[in-house]
Amino acid sequence: MMLSLRSLAKTYPNGVEALGALNLDILAGEIVAVIGGSGCGKSTLLRLISGLESATRGQVKIHGEQVMAPHPLINLIFQEPRLLPWLTVEQNICFGIRHLDRLEQGRRLRAVLQQVQLQSYEKRLPKELSGGQAQRVAIARALITQPEVLLLDEPFSALDAMTRASLQDHLLEIWRDAGPTIVIVTHDIEEAAALAHRVVVMQPSPGRILEEIDMDLPLPRHELDLEPYKKRIRAALRRSLASTDQPELNLNEAISNRRVFS
Amino acid sequence: MTTTDLLAAKERELRSSRAPRSWRPAVGAPLAAVLLPVLGFLVWQILVSSGLASGRLVPPPSRILYALWQLQKTGELYHHLLATVGRVLFGFLAGAVAGILLGGVTGYFRLARRLLDPTLQALRAIPSIAWVPLFILWFGIFETSKVALIAVGVFFPVYLGVSASLSSVDRKIVEVGRIFRLSGFDLVRRILFPAILPALVVSLRTGLGLGWMFVVAAEFMGASEGLGYLLVDGQQLGKPDQIVAAILVFAILGKFSDGLLVLLTAPLTAWQDNFRREQE
Ligand SMILES: Nc1ncnc2c1ncn2[C@@H]1O[C@H](COP(=O)(O)OP(=O)(O)O)[C@@H](O)[C@H]1O
Ligand SMILES: [Mg+2]
Repeated sequence: MMLSLRSLAKTYPNGVEALGALNLDILAGEIVAVIGGSGCGKSTLLRLISGLESATRGQVKIHGEQVMAPHPLINLIFQEPRLLPWLTVEQNICFGIRHLDRLEQGRRLRAVLQQVQLQSYEKRLPKELSGGQAQRVAIARALITQPEVLLLDEPFSALDAMTRASLQDHLLEIWRDAGPTIVIVTHDIEEAAALAHRVVVMQPSPGRILEEIDMDLPLPRHELDLEPYKKRIRAALRRSLASTDQPELNLNEAISNRRVFS
Repeated sequence: MTTTDLLAAKERELRSSRAPRSWRPAVGAPLAAVLLPVLGFLVWQILVSSGLASGRLVPPPSRILYALWQLQKTGELYHHLLATVGRVLFGFLAGAVAGILLGGVTGYFRLARRLLDPTLQALRAIPSIAWVPLFILWFGIFETSKVALIAVGVFFPVYLGVSASLSSVDRKIVEVGRIFRLSGFDLVRRILFPAILPALVVSLRTGLGLGWMFVVAAEFMGASEGLGYLLVDGQQLGKPDQIVAAILVFAILGKFSDGLLVLLTAPLTAWQDNFRREQE
C-alpha cells in the first residue's frame, strides 16, 4: 500500500471540524480524484497527507511509515503556482534539488522542461509567464524531485479550458512515464472522469467520504464514453449536497471553488 | 485607394506618431526633475540683480556659488563634508545592522517579538533628540555620541520595516519552503530574506534620510567640523550664503546617497512585478 489514511481527523483551532475519521487506502501508481462541494475538507485532506498540517486524530502512512512532516517522497501542487518571484523559471524548478550536483540538476531540468513543454523559458522570471506556463513550472518543480506521491489541489481550475485540457494530457503523460501515485482534488466532474482510476466523492461537516466510484476504463480516455461514470459521480455529488445547508445551489455553483482559493 | 492601402497608411501614421514619443520620457525625466529648482534660482537671481530684492537674508545663487567656491578653494568644504559623511556612514551602518538583526529576531520568533517589541516601540516614541544629553554624558561630546544619535535615528525605520515585513511574508510562499523541507536557516535565507528585500530597501532609504537629519542635530550640539558646523558658524557670524551653501550640499548629498542606495539594490529587487518601475 502506497498511502494509507486511518481515522484521519482534523479540527482547526477555530473549532471547525474539517475532517472526521476518514479512511482511505491508495495503491502505488493509482490516480485518485477527490471531488466534493466547497468546504468539505478536500484541501485539508491534501495538506494532511503532505505533512503541511498535522492531524488531530488518526494518521497518514506512506509505505507503512507515518507522515509527521513534509516528506521527501510526497509533493503538493497548489491551486496557484506559488513560484518564488525572485527566482528564474530554471531556479524555481530546481528549488527542491539544490543539494544534487550540477550535472544531475541539468539532466533532470532538461527532462522536466521537455515534459511540461517549457524549453527556452528557463531564464524568465515568474512575472513574465502566463497563468498556464506558471502552473507548468509549478508542476515541473514538483516533478523534478521525482516524488512517489503527487498531490494536486485543484491545479487547473484557474486556467482556461484549452490550457486545462492540455495540462491534463501532460499529467497523464507524466503518470505514464514516471508512474507516481496521484491524488488530485478537483471540482470538475469531467476532469475526475477523464483522469482517475477512482473517484472519491466527499461530504462536508465534518469532511468524510460519501462514495468511491471505480473507473474501470483504460487511460487516456479521449475516445471513450464517460457519460455513465459522470452520471454516477453527479448523482453522488447531489446526495452530498443534499446534506448541506445550501441544497438549493445548483451542482456547478456548489462545487466550483473559483472564488474560494483556500 | 483600396481598404488595405487605407489600413497601411493608417498604420504608418500611427507608427510615425508613436516613434518620437519613445525618447521623450527618457530625456524628459531628468530635465523635469531639475526644472523647478533651476527656474526658482533664475527668478531669484534676476530679482536680486535688478535690485528688486535686497538678497541680504536670502542670498542669490551667485553669492551662494561664490561662498561654495571659497569654501572649496580653502579645502574647508572637503574637510567638513568628509566629517559629516563619515558620521552618517558609520551611524547608518550601525543603525541598519542593529535594525536588521533585531527586526529579524522579532519578526521571526514570536517569543522575541512579545518580549522585545513593546519596549522598542516605547523607545521609538521618545523624540530621538531627547537622547542627546544622555549620549553626551555616556559617550562624551566627540564622535561616539554623534554616531550613536544617528544610529538611533536609522535604527527605528529599519527595525520596523524588517520586523513588520517579516511577519507579513505570504504564508503561501512559506508553505512552498515547507513542502521542500527547508529548515529554519534555509527558510530564512531562501524564502524570508528575499521576500522582504524590497521592504528592506525602502526602510533603509527611510533610515538613510533620517541619518542625514540626525547628523545635523548631532553637529548642532557642539562640533568643530562638519556641514552642521558650517550652519551654526554661518548663523553666528551672519553669513546666510554659507548657510544656504551648506544646505545645498546637504540636498545634493541626500539625493546622491539615496540614488546610490537605489542603484546598488536595484538588481536585488528587479524581480518585482510592479505597477510602475520608476527610474530614480
Ligand atoms: N486554516 C484554517 N483554519 C480554520 N478553518 C479552516 C482552515 N482551513 C480550512 N478551514 C475550514 O475547514 C473546512 C474545510 O476547508 P477546506 O479543506 O479548504 O475545504 P475544500 O478544499 O474542500 O474547499 C472549511 O469549513 C474551512 O472554512
Ligand atoms: Mg480547497
